[in-house]
Amino acid sequence: MTDGPILFVAAAALLLGCLLGPRFPRLWIALTLAGAAAFIAASAHILGGGEPWEWRGGFSVGGEQLHLRLDGLSALFLALLGVVGGAGAVYSRSYWSDAQYPRSAPRGRALWSALVVSMGGVLLASNGLHFLLAWEAFVLAAYFLIILDPDSAGARPAGWLYLAASHAGTLCLFGFFCGIASRTGSWDLGPMRDNAGLAPLFWLGLVGFGLKAGLFPLHVWLPSGHASAPSHVSAILSGVMINMGVYGLVRFTGWLPVPHEAGWVLIFGGAVSALAGMAFAVSQTDLKRLLAYCTVENVGIIGVGLGAALLGSEQGGTSWGGLALAGALLHVWSHGLSKALLFFGAGSVVHATGTRDMSRLGGLWKRMPKTAALFAFGSVAISGLPPLGGFVSEWMIYLGLLGAASSRSPAAWAAIPAAILLGISGALALAAFVKACSAVFLGASRGGTSDHAHESPDLMIGPMAALAALGAVIGLAPAPLWPSIARAAGAWRGPVGPMPWAVLALGLCNLVLAGLALVAAALLGRRVRDGGLKRAPTWSCGYAEPTARMQYTVGSFSGIISGWFSWALRPQGWSQRPRGLFPARAHRFERIPETVLEDAVAPAALGVLQLSTLVRRLQHGRLRFYILYIVAGLAGLGILTAMEARP
Amino acid sequence: MSSGLNLLIGISMGLNLLALGSSRLPSLIRVAAAQGVVLGLMPLLMEHHFSWLVALTAVTTAVVKGVVIPTLLRHAMRAANIDRDLDPLIGFIPSLLLGAAGTIAAVALVRVVPLLPEHRGLLLVPGSVAAILTGFILLIARSKAISQVCGYLILDNGVYLFGLLLIHAMPLLVEAGILLDLTVAVFVIGIIVDRIQRAFDSLDTRKLTALHE
Repeated sequence: MTDGPILFVAAAALLLGCLLGPRFPRLWIALTLAGAAAFIAASAHILGGGEPWEWRGGFSVGGEQLHLRLDGLSALFLALLGVVGGAGAVYSRSYWSDAQYPRSAPRGRALWSALVVSMGGVLLASNGLHFLLAWEAFVLAAYFLIILDPDSAGARPAGWLYLAASHAGTLCLFGFFCGIASRTGSWDLGPMRDNAGLAPLFWLGLVGFGLKAGLFPLHVWLPSGHASAPSHVSAILSGVMINMGVYGLVRFTGWLPVPHEAGWVLIFGGAVSALAGMAFAVSQTDLKRLLAYCTVENVGIIGVGLGAALLGSEQGGTSWGGLALAGALLHVWSHGLSKALLFFGAGSVVHATGTRDMSRLGGLWKRMPKTAALFAFGSVAISGLPPLGGFVSEWMIYLGLLGAASSRSPAAWAAIPAAILLGISGALALAAFVKACSAVFLGASRGGTSDHAHESPDLMIGPMAALAALGAVIGLAPAPLWPSIARAAGAWRGPVGPMPWAVLALGLCNLVLAGLALVAAALLGRRVRDGGLKRAPTWSCGYAEPTARMQYTVGSFSGIISGWFSWALRPQGWSQRPRGLFPARAHRFERIPETVLEDAVAPAALGVLQLSTLVRRLQHGRLRFYILYIVAGLAGLGILTAMEARP
Repeated sequence: MSSGLNLLIGISMGLNLLALGSSRLPSLIRVAAAQGVVLGLMPLLMEHHFSWLVALTAVTTAVVKGVVIPTLLRHAMRAANIDRDLDPLIGFIPSLLLGAAGTIAAVALVRVVPLLPEHRGLLLVPGSVAAILTGFILLIARSKAISQVCGYLILDNGVYLFGLLLIHAMPLLVEAGILLDLTVAVFVIGIIVDRIQRAFDSLDTRKLTALHE
């Protein structure tokens, strides 16, 4: 029973950091790291085989007895929160320094602690009311972090959109938890799968948690929110906060009964989310927007895993269902780590050049070699290439899907298309990250933004390296990690089967691959150092006077793929072609709209606005009409009461 | 006993119609005052044996509603120096028809409302509903602030009438408190009327729409 004190220390450290952070930055780093370490320690204890921790407080908060619980599932997410929360705190020290942002940096520190501690609260709460309280707290903390620099372009609208979407989701969650409470008679949460009346609540939970997780088409807030926030905030939003939605989905599909269609909806929703997210990602020109859409894809992959697990569980606990769930949970980690790493990398690029527009970047590899290497590392991991973490987790999900496909059950009809869609989205992910890496780091500088770029300080590189190392561990040693993942997956709906040999084999293959890659890199490095290769300006290509404008532009790089999806992306553009022998001007302007936001959500919101303007006409200031409303209301109530009394 | 009570309620219903039909402000105030006096006397008839407390309340109600409030209103009317004619939004005849329909509906309504056996034969509930409806019609259909105060008074008379059902359950102190509130409200409205008149040169509430929100 050591988890209680450790978690208490974590909460105390983080709350203290919240209070003292604005004044004492060094103390704040220490406190945040202590809190993060305590989170990781408690989670490691549970995941390493310790008994799940449960605690009922002797006092009540908001009229409900405090009830906390840390089991394998919440420990998995809590440890990720600790890792990214700690890394982001260190990163922000240089990235969002007091010298550069004297007004917002102190506020940002307090909010960061508040965000981490309230997300911890969500993961630990085992009472619907407290879950909602913690949920609301982290939603607000994240909002204020997104608009940390309210004067930066797009931050305020992005913040509003985020807030509106979050509150729509929270509204669903209010319905969800109130539904549970009214049907069970208590706000207390726990396994209650034999209460079949709770099954329809799944749909409310799906919308509420799906909005937070950013499942397509509920992702509308995500691209602008992630892109406009400071990068360390984007990292925790994308690496951890959207996982709160995933946690909610996993937790409550495990604790509550679900309708029969739930697995089908999740698996198809996830696959569509994966494909659509990546299709949008490929065609973005904003580096952070690309990463944000990639988050939509990864949440989709996790959704596919969870959907397959639900289908497996419907058929009585098949081994492929467990494998898919284990893959989904591992993907939470591999995506969280590599996405935080990539956002830190994007933050370093923004820090150095002042822009996140890829069409104005280029050639940064020479100026920021460490950032470039780490970004490339993260790209490999997130594209699901061996030998890194993304490959292992996606492979486990594929194994689950293949198991379902060969099971001769109805689930095969879901698993086969899902596997195909995941395959396509994986290929698109590779294309997107090749584009991102090459546009930002390779080639020559476009538009001079990279000319004065400088490598980021060690305080920014360090957290990135740590995240990369953790991601590599997942990729290279999945077999030793399996018991922990199995424990987390076991907390869902009962134990999963033994480790498939494929996981062990995969780990060994990855080790061999990594060894080969290291050897190749070492050989190449030696050849370069010995002068065997000649260095020349990029893009000289036989031209007498090469210019950076002769490179592929970012838009042209992804033009073909964007063309395939133009029915969904609806790219807008206009161009002025060069005419005549000595063309004076030529233009090409392209823009990929936020299709769902601009073509579906915005018109709907406008309709609501017009409707409310109509309703507002009822308030015109003429007193006697107000009295008439009262009379009408009273009469209506009277008629209603009379009709109730009649039968 | 109950026939005497019903007679008073019948008179109050008639006064409702009179209020709807009166075209001048002083007569409207007089009608509201008369109704207040009639209602104020009712507790005396309802109690089987004489009690000082009930008598005191009855007399106070009658005095406040019949003398104090009308005096305040007349004073406000004179101070603001307003036109005595009411210009109705809904004409007098339609108002009367509405009021009559409301009264008939109220009498019909009493069949639906579950009542205690001792209240079955009384017209208390229809009388109260009719007065409330009349009050609302006056509030909606008359545009002068003072005539709306009269509507409010008649509405309150309806509420008071309904409260008589609970005369054994409700402490008389509560009645007294309501009466005090009413008096203060009328007093304050009298002052406001004066101020509105000075600020806007009119007491027509139709012109006071700019203050909404």
